[in-house]
Amino acid sequence: MTNAAFQLSTVAHLEYPAGRSATDLASLREGIARVPAESLFFHISRVAVRHPRAHDLPPNDFANWTAAALQEPEIAERLAFAGAQLLVELEDQRAALIRILDDAMSRKRAEAASQAAAFHFISARSVKAPLPFTVEHPEQVVHLWPHVDSAAAFYHLVEAPVLGPAVDDLVAWLRMRGATRLAEIAEELTRGGMPLLRLHREIGARWRRSLIGARLLERTEQSDATRRQEARAVVARFAGRLRKPPGERRP
Amino acid sequence: MMERVASGAAERKGWLDRYAHVVGPGTLHALEALARKLHGHRIVMVNTTKTGGGVAEILHRLVLILNELGVPTTWEVMEGDERFFNVTKKIHNALHGRAEPLTAEDREVYAERTRSEAKRLELDGDLILIHDPQPAGLVSLRRKPGQKWVWRCHIDLSARDPDHWEFLRPSVAQYDASIFSAIEFVPPLPIPTYLVPPSIDPFSAKNREMDPDEVAAILDRLDIARRGPWVTQISRFDRIKDPIGVIEAFRMVRGRRKARLLLAGGGASDDPEGAEVLAEVRERATKVKDVTVLELPPGSDLEINALQRASTVVMQKSLAEGFALTVSEALWKRRAVVASAVGGIPLQILHEQTGLLARSIEGAAFQTVRLLDNPDLRHDLGIEGRAHVRENFLHTREVRDYLAVFSSLL
Repeated sequence: MTNAAFQLSTVAHLEYPAGRSATDLASLREGIARVPAESLFFHISRVAVRHPRAHDLPPNDFANWTAAALQEPEIAERLAFAGAQLLVELEDQRAALIRILDDAMSRKRAEAASQAAAFHFISARSVKAPLPFTVEHPEQVVHLWPHVDSAAAFYHLVEAPVLGPAVDDLVAWLRMRGATRLAEIAEELTRGGMPLLRLHREIGARWRRSLIGARLLERTEQSDATRRQEARAVVARFAGRLRKPPGERRP
Repeated sequence: MMERVASGAAERKGWLDRYAHVVGPGTLHALEALARKLHGHRIVMVNTTKTGGGVAEILHRLVLILNELGVPTTWEVMEGDERFFNVTKKIHNALHGRAEPLTAEDREVYAERTRSEAKRLELDGDLILIHDPQPAGLVSLRRKPGQKWVWRCHIDLSARDPDHWEFLRPSVAQYDASIFSAIEFVPPLPIPTYLVPPSIDPFSAKNREMDPDEVAAILDRLDIARRGPWVTQISRFDRIKDPIGVIEAFRMVRGRRKARLLLAGGGASDDPEGAEVLAEVRERATKVKDVTVLELPPGSDLEINALQRASTVVMQKSLAEGFALTVSEALWKRRAVVASAVGGIPLQILHEQTGLLARSIEGAAFQTVRLLDNPDLRHDLGIEGRAHVRENFLHTREVRDYLAVFSSLL
């Protein structure tokens, strides 16, 4: 198992009605208590997929709706805080959201929204498709990372650890293969809850930087002739870039 | 006569490659991976018009893209006469909430046309995707063993008339699954339902990049003044799009700011009401200063592109909507948009982030004045609007969703 290769896969999210709706805090609580984990995951974690390019990750759907439709900003911010962490066990988040709603309802009676502004619970399941990238060694993930789409990144970093299957949990695989630093970087950034495109990019950049030390060590073990040849190639590339007009140069 | 729309190999070549520059190569790898799951299966799309309206526009491109991904897909167009389209227009309006009684004769016209078209259409794929209510009845007459039939509803059914829906529902219930653009549109159904918003093509004549000289040349050709500021609504002349309400909102705007209004649009071949509505709009337009009404013939995509780009504010003041792709088209061009909070518009316009929502004529006038006065706000909304469309409303996202639906059924 520890030597198993890792299959990078993408997913398409098949969204469908979860069969419940809410017009007030009580029906929202009832819905949160009863919908399947996939629906909770959709409303809390998939916000990152639906707003991949946002400057800042918007709050979960329950908080958004409570603020916009029920005009309850205080309850909304408490719900936003309770359901904001991507890698937290869903049942813990469910319990936290219910606690807040129970507490809020014991203090005051919030107005109901109209049927037209009802909250509709949605669920989603992922249709998985293997990408043509099978990884034998952790470093290969770093090289292939820019070629996978952000849905694949979300699947391997967020969805598989929370909803399974465990075999698609990339961080767990990196750990199993001894790439502790790469695993820590991915996990730390994912827990940070940034928008998906930034998360995808940032992990790639941090991974590449983390390999610089290993590459330098590798170079010192190479022959002088090989190192000179590589240095000449680097200088030639740099000179080529300088010869380009300023507008064509990469920043 | 049945029409069959095929996609030529030469036209297909490299179509998806162009998307790589917009959505990134990772997305294309993902589409190819999902398409491989459908190896050996054939898809047939069916609707009732080849030109005019958002559905036909989407199908032109989706069929190309699916074929390029190696999923053989054909497109069948169900034909109808004026009587049939009068009935289906009545059903369409009623499903949007504007009910007129459905007579026994109407039901017979619908059933008769469905029977005759069922004999002609080539529906021999593994999955038949029927778009909208007009061809919905085909399922009971043409389903073969082993086939999957999916009903794709582009209409908002939240205010549906119960009589019309009861007429349609027995047919819909025979499908293996249904697809709606947003959860708010979904009625209770005994079959699985999936949510797939529609999308636009950034490379079509209607959306491709266009330099200011080209825009100016097209405006000159249409005899539209280059000098604005222009407030425009480009939409079918259909009461549901509320062109009269747009004129009224503009009358209020014009009382406070100097601006011009352009109402431009055409008709769809399955919409018999268009000419009547256009006449009403022309008559009303004569009563308000600086209003231009422009009837665009089918295929005026470049003209629409230029008119949207020349607009300072784009309006979509619909009373009801399926999705209103004109909103995504305007956002893609970084235009500032004022739109009604109906149908799929709130999915596209995140209020104060990607555009401005309005719920009344006065609201539309107020937001239009705000935008006319504030170039920085227009600029910021335009930037965010384009990014929002790139991530959520381009064809690559819709194809991805369809591939997921197809592979979950086949």
